[in-house]
Amino acid sequence: MAEISRELADIINDKESLKVIATTDAQGNPHVVFKGTLHTEGQDLVFYDLLQSSQVNKNLVSSIWFGRKVAINILAKDKRSFLITAKPRRSVTAGRVFEEVYASLKDRNPDGDLNAIWYLEPEHIEEKTFAVRRAEEEAAFPILKHLDRLVKEERS
Amino acid sequence: MSRNSENGWRSKELPYDQVIEKYPEIPPIVALKIDVSRRGIHYTQAALDRVDPDKHHVEPYNYMIGHGKNAAPIGLFLRDGSVICQGDTPDYSKAYRDPYTLDVVDGRLVLTDEEIGKVYEEVTFWDRPDFYDKKTSNGTPMCLVASARPQRITIAPQTKCHFWDTPGEGCKYCALFSAHRSKDDEGEIRDEKWFQDVEETTREALKEKGRYCSFHMTAGSTLSGAEIFDDEVDLYIKTLHAAEKAFKTEKFPVKLVASAFSKKQLQRMYDETAITTYTTDLEVLNPELFKWICPGKSRLVGYEEWKHRLYDAVEIFGRGNVDCGIVGGVETAQPNGFADEDEALAAVLAEAEEMGRHGVSFADCVWNALPGSMFVNQKTPSLEYYVKLALGLAEVRRKNGLKIYTDDYRRCGNHPNTDLARID
Repeated sequence: MAEISRELADIINDKESLKVIATTDAQGNPHVVFKGTLHTEGQDLVFYDLLQSSQVNKNLVSSIWFGRKVAINILAKDKRSFLITAKPRRSVTAGRVFEEVYASLKDRNPDGDLNAIWYLEPEHIEEKTFAVRRAEEEAAFPILKHLDRLVKEERS
Repeated sequence: MSRNSENGWRSKELPYDQVIEKYPEIPPIVALKIDVSRRGIHYTQAALDRVDPDKHHVEPYNYMIGHGKNAAPIGLFLRDGSVICQGDTPDYSKAYRDPYTLDVVDGRLVLTDEEIGKVYEEVTFWDRPDFYDKKTSNGTPMCLVASARPQRITIAPQTKCHFWDTPGEGCKYCALFSAHRSKDDEGEIRDEKWFQDVEETTREALKEKGRYCSFHMTAGSTLSGAEIFDDEVDLYIKTLHAAEKAFKTEKFPVKLVASAFSKKQLQRMYDETAITTYTTDLEVLNPELFKWICPGKSRLVGYEEWKHRLYDAVEIFGRGNVDCGIVGGVETAQPNGFADEDEALAAVLAEAEEMGRHGVSFADCVWNALPGSMFVNQKTPSLEYYVKLALGLAEVRRKNGLKIYTDDYRRCGNHPNTDLARID
């Protein structure tokens, strides 16, 4: 299990951050969806799925059944980005906690519904901000570049 | 020595771990649910000590059976959000197999197999419905008017099944309403006061926001009326009309599990009540075994007519909105059932395929030889059989493009084959 740092938790819990979850179905077909409700609870990543027939819900059920992982990307408002691979740990579909979340969602959207609360356990976290990745690549693999970037300027 | 410790059943069939290895397409958690449903659960004292009657769902008595017993949980949540609809089995000495154990290990409530010494899954108790503490204006405890699962409310308008009126004609696997089987026992009284109780209980239950996805009604069969089941139809309509007062829409999600009504009766139910789906249980998908296992249903309606009425229902409710409950595995009951599990499975799935082509979905209950049933001493099939049955029925549904939301993991929770529909 990977640890979610305080800094990353703040980014994940920031309403202005963009959060996407990529899952696959049993046949390996990929699916990506934005999940604005994704947040942290302790070391879990948690989000609310609103539609029982949603593809992400089906894929997460399939993943918790067969031990598959999901990928999450967080894009902060300062353009830093983080890739998290995680395993679905638990789906809460009824009970007191479910009802509390249902009530809070109804405050925001009186006609809304709730299908499940998904708890995801992060397994690997990596910063993917472009500047960070570029610096990493240049340090590790200096030959990975177009030659024209290295052309000597001609004197006029 | 108990029956299950003497018969060496473990050496005669594939255990859970080998079944999930042999059938990688079955989710291990669904296979475990099947096995737990098949073998039952025994609660240790440590598990029972975890039960908080103010917080957890305990039944003061078994609503669907009618016998008194100690207040105890009637089900568990699994980590995929599905449920196991089984309470404690305090005495299993006469059962063919010993049950799983609900225990506390490292502070967690878990399902274990004591003999193997392995912890399988962490589980949690269901939460107590808010209405259970309330009384109607007539002074009736609401927990006697309705029961609940985590996401459905259940009302049983009739607690007597009149197929038992003729000795030996009740369904042989059935323990439902077994407290009311004598000819002179009419079951609970349903007078005007009771219908008022239904309205008030429904209204009170719905105050617990986010809890209920389905209004479930089922009852013993009532055979009387100008046409067989006319009085049963009247009773359901009257009960639904009482409950409907709590809703602002004419139609709402109702899961009705009833006798095989005629087309005229079904049309009336559709026109006059909230229902949009319908379930009637053929129980065993084989005409000869139906005659033996469900003699009352066979004599008074008949296998082919019961099936035909399911097809009629599809014309009214639409493909996938008509559901047929079966007692999966009862086709192997002896001495008349299939002795060979492969033959049983082939026969059941062939019949299911034919019915699926007509738009009928299936809800497979795992047959458990229950106390209170005539089949109490029977040996139920292997886990491998139940897994193949669940997978086969799921394939029939997919192949025929059918949905099963009315009887899925959320609106019922007691059918492994409909659990598999969660990823369709």
